[in-house]
Amino acid sequence: MNAAAQIALQNAVNGLLIGGTYATVAVGFSLVWGTLNVVNIAHGALVMLGAYVTYWLFSLYHIDPLLALPLTGAALFALGYPLQRFVINQVIRASFLITFLLTFGLDLLITNLALAAWTADIRSVTTSYSGWSLTAGPLALPVVRIASLGIAVLAAALLHLLMTGTRLGSAIRATASDLEAARLMGIPVAHVYALTFALAAATAGIAGGLISLSFPIYPAMGAGYTLVAFVVCVLGGLGSVPGALAGGLVLGLLQTYAAWWLGPNFDNIVAFSVLILVLLVRPAGLFGRARRFRG
Amino acid sequence: MARYRRCAAALTALIVLGALAWGTGGPAGGQEILKIGAPLAATGADAREGALTKQGYDLWVETVNTRGGIKVGGTAYKAQILYYDDQSKPQISAELTDKLISQDHVSFLLGPYGSPATFADAAIAERYKIPMVESNGAARRIFQQGYKYIFGVLSPADEYASAMLKAAVSLRPRPETVAILSADDLFSLEVANAAKDWAEHNNLKVLYFQKYPVNTPDLSAALTSIKSLHPDVLIGSGHLQESLLIMKQAQTLAVNAKFFGFTVGPTTPDFAKSLGPAAEGVFASSQWTPDVKYSGPIFGSAQDWARLFQIRYGAVPDYHNAESSAGALTLQLAIEKAGSLDPQKVRDVLAALDVVTFYGRIKFNAEGLDVYKPMVAVQIQHGKVATVWPAEIASAKAVYPTPPWNARQ
Repeated sequence: MNAAAQIALQNAVNGLLIGGTYATVAVGFSLVWGTLNVVNIAHGALVMLGAYVTYWLFSLYHIDPLLALPLTGAALFALGYPLQRFVINQVIRASFLITFLLTFGLDLLITNLALAAWTADIRSVTTSYSGWSLTAGPLALPVVRIASLGIAVLAAALLHLLMTGTRLGSAIRATASDLEAARLMGIPVAHVYALTFALAAATAGIAGGLISLSFPIYPAMGAGYTLVAFVVCVLGGLGSVPGALAGGLVLGLLQTYAAWWLGPNFDNIVAFSVLILVLLVRPAGLFGRARRFRG
Repeated sequence: MARYRRCAAALTALIVLGALAWGTGGPAGGQEILKIGAPLAATGADAREGALTKQGYDLWVETVNTRGGIKVGGTAYKAQILYYDDQSKPQISAELTDKLISQDHVSFLLGPYGSPATFADAAIAERYKIPMVESNGAARRIFQQGYKYIFGVLSPADEYASAMLKAAVSLRPRPETVAILSADDLFSLEVANAAKDWAEHNNLKVLYFQKYPVNTPDLSAALTSIKSLHPDVLIGSGHLQESLLIMKQAQTLAVNAKFFGFTVGPTTPDFAKSLGPAAEGVFASSQWTPDVKYSGPIFGSAQDWARLFQIRYGAVPDYHNAESSAGALTLQLAIEKAGSLDPQKVRDVLAALDVVTFYGRIKFNAEGLDVYKPMVAVQIQHGKVATVWPAEIASAKAVYPTPPWNARQ
């Protein structure tokens, strides 16, 4: 295999790995946007909280970050439920701009509380296996990130099953597609909304936990991930788990190849150019179905 | 009940005695206050470095006030720094500089953190003719505007990477090739371009030169390209989070440079703490280390200052701390020498100042930049920062070449 082919293959691996991270970040964002019609600007802040929960469990109680993922998810679930039930639900019927502003405020609040509590120090979860890497011919396969990708896909699959195969999933989807009918059928809408948001927060927490294993963490890290989630949703379509997964992988591959061919400074330029193109040509996303918005 | 009262009395006595002891030589009641303004990041991307800067400034304030304050003519002034959070945004920093001068009526300014903010604030200081001594903006561009009121106590940006390259070419076998990765901001690019220039003029072949967006979440594509080029030296010009990212991804992608060097990162304690064994052998340049052999007024020697810092903050100082204390000290020395609080007189003294401090020689060229103080190269050895270049002040011998990842424990 010649050198260029080796680099191309390694970059495919790199792109899929970062894409898996993007997908885990985006899946909850997509769920909330698609179901509640809320663009949750605070999603990245929840990812950041997940990273810190993992970090503290690891550094204070020596709990392995991968084993801590269910705990991290549960902690963020417990935070997400009241956040939606008692805060965002208050304005959920108001215009799109109001919920947008509210979550923007929540993002500032959470980020600055984290800054006050934990300072701006840059931290990192370094386990004994953090630097492990498998070699497959000329390819380097970072163990932790492969495991992260596996867990990301697993979590997405579980969420997909939950959405399609359980009464809760049906209730969430029913509420999203026809609010009035769902309410008439006796679905407790406020409760379902809160559960949906809590589920999204849990996936954000798990994403944060996985990110903390491979990337530096600090209170302001969330903003970049909110942006990533936004792009993934537009690429993949709203409210669908497979869409978020596909959107994340496409974005990861796009950025990685752009960084290789044009230089690392071009990864976002290319990603956003594609984003605009997709919005023009297929506004429902590459993998989304055309969706009617209620007025 | 009586016991509590006795206890309270003892405590009161202790506090009063303590205050008296602290107060000897300290500010007397009714002492005049000299307000100095500093717009400084407490939130945003530079919050971490902003906090390091503040530690350096505060250590100076506390030291000078316990020693009786700033002496101007016959009067001793208690030093006070007015901080505003510029949120790591240059335009906000400039607005706050304006506010400090026009509303808070400060007579002097200390710099913010970082070249972009310093660049913005310098224009405001210049407009009001208020001297600003800055210690955290090393970009040459700040000093190429013809400004007369900005003074930087740190070595300029072009030294940051070239100090490491000078150290690298002194090692044997002499490295022949270099890859440079730079964050896309004013300061980092200036550093990276200077490094490229220096390398090309000194028989080091530049195999790779690319910039990336600040705070990028992933650099695996860039590192994959670098890996295929097998450079001897990898230089990263950016920020702490990116130096951590590069080392983590270099490790998992098995990028085996013989010399990893970063302009920013390794000298902060967070670097070795975050990376653990993967931090071993990483090089960095530094404005200052406690190993330098300078000594001067107020703080004594570099070691004395470092000890004072350690006692006050319970942590090993980083060069950001030292240069910030040095900047504030420089302003004090100029005010005292001028014997006046008149900004113009202090500015003139600053322009002609030539003094050796714990931090090194302070003397400004016509642009207001301290080009008389050399930088040093350091390396992480056994989890600690060791000074390895120049040879005459080195505290340890450089370990080179860095072993490949699969040969490390």
